[in-house]
Amino acid sequence: MGNISTPLLSCLILVLFFCSAIPSTAFSSSSSSSSTMHTNNWAVLVCTSRFWFNYRHMANTLSLYRTVKRLGIPDERIILMLADDMACNARNKYPAQVFNNENHRLNLYGDNVEVDYRGYEVTVENFMRVLTGRHETAVPRSKRLLSDEGSHILLYMTGHGGDEFLKFQDSEELQSHDLADAVKQMKEKRRFKELLIMVDTCQAATLFSQLQSPGVLAIGSSKKGENSYSHHLDSDVGVSVVDRFTFYTLAFFERLNMYDNASLNSLFNSYNPNMLLSTAYYRTDLYQRLLEEVPVTNFFGSVMETIHTDSPYRALSSINSRKSKIEMRLDQTSRGGQRILESSDVPQESTDSDTRDKQVSFPFTHTWNTILWRIENMKEMNYLVNYGLALMFPIVSFSTWLSR
Amino acid sequence: MDAANTPIPPAMAEISEAPSTSAAEIQKAEAEFDSETMRKTKPGLKRFALTLTVLLSFLSGLPFLWKSVEIYRSPLPFREIDDLSAAVELNPLQFPCRFEVVFVDFGRTSSTANELSVSIESHMRKLAEKDSPSCGACNYNSTVSVALESASDCFRTDGDFNWKCGALNGLMNKYEASREDGGELFDDYLKSLLNDNGSSSNGGKVYTVIVVRREEEKHVSAVVGKYRHAWIIGNISKEEAVKKVAEVFVNTFVNGGKEEGSIGGEFMPVGSDGRIVLSFNLLNANPNDWTYDWEFQEIDDNILSPIVEALKPLADIRVESQVLYHTPKSSFSYWDDKLESYIYTTKDLPFFVNSNEWHLDTSVAAGGRSKILHFVVYVPSAEECPLLLQLPNGEISKTNGFISPMWGSVAVWNPSACFKDLKMDTRARHKIPREDLTKTFEIFIGQLRQLFGLNSKNHFADASGTLRLLTSERGFSEWELDFLSRQHTCFNLLQCTTTLGSLSRLVQSLPRMIIKDEIGKQVKYSLEAAKLAVSNVSYGMYDASAVFSRHARSFAEDAFYHPSMMSVSYYSFEHCFAVYSPFFLPVSLHVVLAAVREWKRYKLESRKYNTWKAKKM
Repeated sequence: MGNISTPLLSCLILVLFFCSAIPSTAFSSSSSSSSTMHTNNWAVLVCTSRFWFNYRHMANTLSLYRTVKRLGIPDERIILMLADDMACNARNKYPAQVFNNENHRLNLYGDNVEVDYRGYEVTVENFMRVLTGRHETAVPRSKRLLSDEGSHILLYMTGHGGDEFLKFQDSEELQSHDLADAVKQMKEKRRFKELLIMVDTCQAATLFSQLQSPGVLAIGSSKKGENSYSHHLDSDVGVSVVDRFTFYTLAFFERLNMYDNASLNSLFNSYNPNMLLSTAYYRTDLYQRLLEEVPVTNFFGSVMETIHTDSPYRALSSINSRKSKIEMRLDQTSRGGQRILESSDVPQESTDSDTRDKQVSFPFTHTWNTILWRIENMKEMNYLVNYGLALMFPIVSFSTWLSR
Repeated sequence: MDAANTPIPPAMAEISEAPSTSAAEIQKAEAEFDSETMRKTKPGLKRFALTLTVLLSFLSGLPFLWKSVEIYRSPLPFREIDDLSAAVELNPLQFPCRFEVVFVDFGRTSSTANELSVSIESHMRKLAEKDSPSCGACNYNSTVSVALESASDCFRTDGDFNWKCGALNGLMNKYEASREDGGELFDDYLKSLLNDNGSSSNGGKVYTVIVVRREEEKHVSAVVGKYRHAWIIGNISKEEAVKKVAEVFVNTFVNGGKEEGSIGGEFMPVGSDGRIVLSFNLLNANPNDWTYDWEFQEIDDNILSPIVEALKPLADIRVESQVLYHTPKSSFSYWDDKLESYIYTTKDLPFFVNSNEWHLDTSVAAGGRSKILHFVVYVPSAEECPLLLQLPNGEISKTNGFISPMWGSVAVWNPSACFKDLKMDTRARHKIPREDLTKTFEIFIGQLRQLFGLNSKNHFADASGTLRLLTSERGFSEWELDFLSRQHTCFNLLQCTTTLGSLSRLVQSLPRMIIKDEIGKQVKYSLEAAKLAVSNVSYGMYDASAVFSRHARSFAEDAFYHPSMMSVSYYSFEHCFAVYSPFFLPVSLHVVLAAVREWKRYKLESRKYNTWKAKKM
């Protein structure tokens, strides 16, 4: 779990540069959303590494997946991003099974594992698309984070990271600026009410150092300069099967069911630096509520906000009893009851010509556009070529005459 | 052509040697001639001109290259966006509404129609001040038209008041006749009497209250019809009547009959593309005990389609249904001896929905950003039947159902088999009886109204007694639809302006982001629709403004969520440099260097020639 110091894509840095240029005032308009009710829970679980020796990262993610599902977040509200190359790996002694403990009591790959982004789909771009909601139209609902202003989102990421970045499948990396920018855009579009970011990588705390959006709570397995270590090696499987931070998180949740109201504070305090061999660091300055008062099920479970229905709308049973009367004056109600859509104006579809007019912003574009337009309108390109060839002779003769 | 700029006239490119006059001079000249620093001929311009031509042709190609690598950014109307958001945020949308009151049989009193009008207005303002100015409220500045009618004469405030004097005679007969059906007939009669098409000439919907004073009645009955009028009949004094009228106007017609504790306005169960999918699910908890099916097509035709039609201005609604099996609930219930049924309490409700077993979100019709509202009929299994919901005060719920905002609702239906305790053929598929299904759908309509923030009780309690509300078979009465239209228009416009505002900030802060024409068009359409919505608001066209505001919002969201917006400057300057330098750098370097070298050589040679010329002089 060494540090990876070489940036893999230089253009990403530029992305960061431009993204960070968004003024912070631009995202201040969402303060009113703090008053909305918490209505639903979402979880985005990301395993960013692949290949056999990273078995433990997939086991981490699947364990978390199992936990949040057990605590009540439905599959349709879990976005699971997983390389998913372990269960059927040729080196796996237990085909189609994944374990997070050497006792092999719990098969994480058992039933109903719905992986939304699999294999090479786990990219920085897809991750950002999931967070910001900018998908192609063909992307199904199950792959989208359809959260709203009443949503609590759990974002869990594990993989190999370093100072302010997280590596995605050995080919890309997610920078802390990227993450902060995505969260900002989410906040701006009111895609969440509260967001818990949980990161299990080396130097995890650096990944959320750039966050600025209110309502975000972040916890990482290690501080800057620290590594996150795996918990134990399974000699049967041949690789480490779980990371320490995730292992102790799971140990905490094993004792809970969906009716419990253990607080986030108790979860965060359960991490013992001596056991983790790193310091679990959490950032609360963006989070308004007191951690003692927030049950873990606010993020890891799904508790619905419900309102009892006082009374039915008694319109139908009365219809049947008075059917004859209604029929009697049917003509009247049908005339009067119809709401006719009326409008003061009809929206005018703009034609192409006026869009072209509006594009004229500075003279060069204008002349360029006229040239383009002329060329497009020129029927026979041969003429142009011929003229060009003919023009070449005077130019050449002129230049030779000059240098005679 | 460019050689013309050079200082030396090209015609003198080659000059023949100067004619020798004498041998001595020649010798002298040759003695002084140093081939290192001098030359006798004028240096040629041929090589320099050629290299310069090549360089210039390269340079003339540069603008074309620059244009071809330019990042395409469709021009967005930033100023218009700012104007719109300033307009919407600064003055909250207020809709023109017209209020009319008819006082019947109040005799000849001291106060005139104008005085009554003024006092009603002041009462209304007082009431409206209490609750915070909500978005999409009526504009209270418009006057209240009042007509005073008695057996002999008729007074009216000025203005276009379409109450026909003398219509009184038929009024009371109809009222008496309509007593047993709860006022439905009277409601329709008033509708025909007022003969309104809902809007007046100066815009806005017309809401009418008719106050009839009858001394023989003991109670005062106040009823709000399903159109846009209400009536108050009974032994009521003028002061009370004025107060009551103001309350009816403010609490029901303007504020939609909302009570404390109903869900807030921030929950708009309409997807950002303006669509809703109503997904009706029949869940058989354990099909080994019994299996139920329903005649959904019939329900859809008779009950749901009028509602979908009524809500058309607010949302594009589609209806789906499915029957699921093996879907136990995930909360617990216990047996109560006294009630002889299984009880679950309101504390269990958050755990009732078993999301892991209830596969509700199976819609293929619902697009990426449309909203699905789930309506679930839960048929309990034999082990937990009958299943009843106990309220915190110990009562049993009348509806046996609950809602979850933005998600949908659940209603528990107990099959008759579990009351009778008879053996059922477990393999047969039973139909839910029609009466039960109708009752369940009444609950669903109530829950749909609740999800939209409306109350479903048939009475409304306010400070001075209760108001009876008539129900419409279309699920929503006219004045409720007006209220929803106002509210949704306002919400949509706010949402649209915030979305466009954040889009414009995002675009301006990222100068290297590609902005496709499509985004520009969507922004333009969104702005156009928003402007139309605002202008329709001022004309009082509620439905049209709701429709346009919905379009404005969905176009704005489409623009903001356009998938191409992710490709932020993956095309940076460094990228440009890295791509093009292997093509152009080696060649361009040679061209420039050759031109420089030739220029230097020419300068050197011409200096030599000049020194020789100076010597010769």
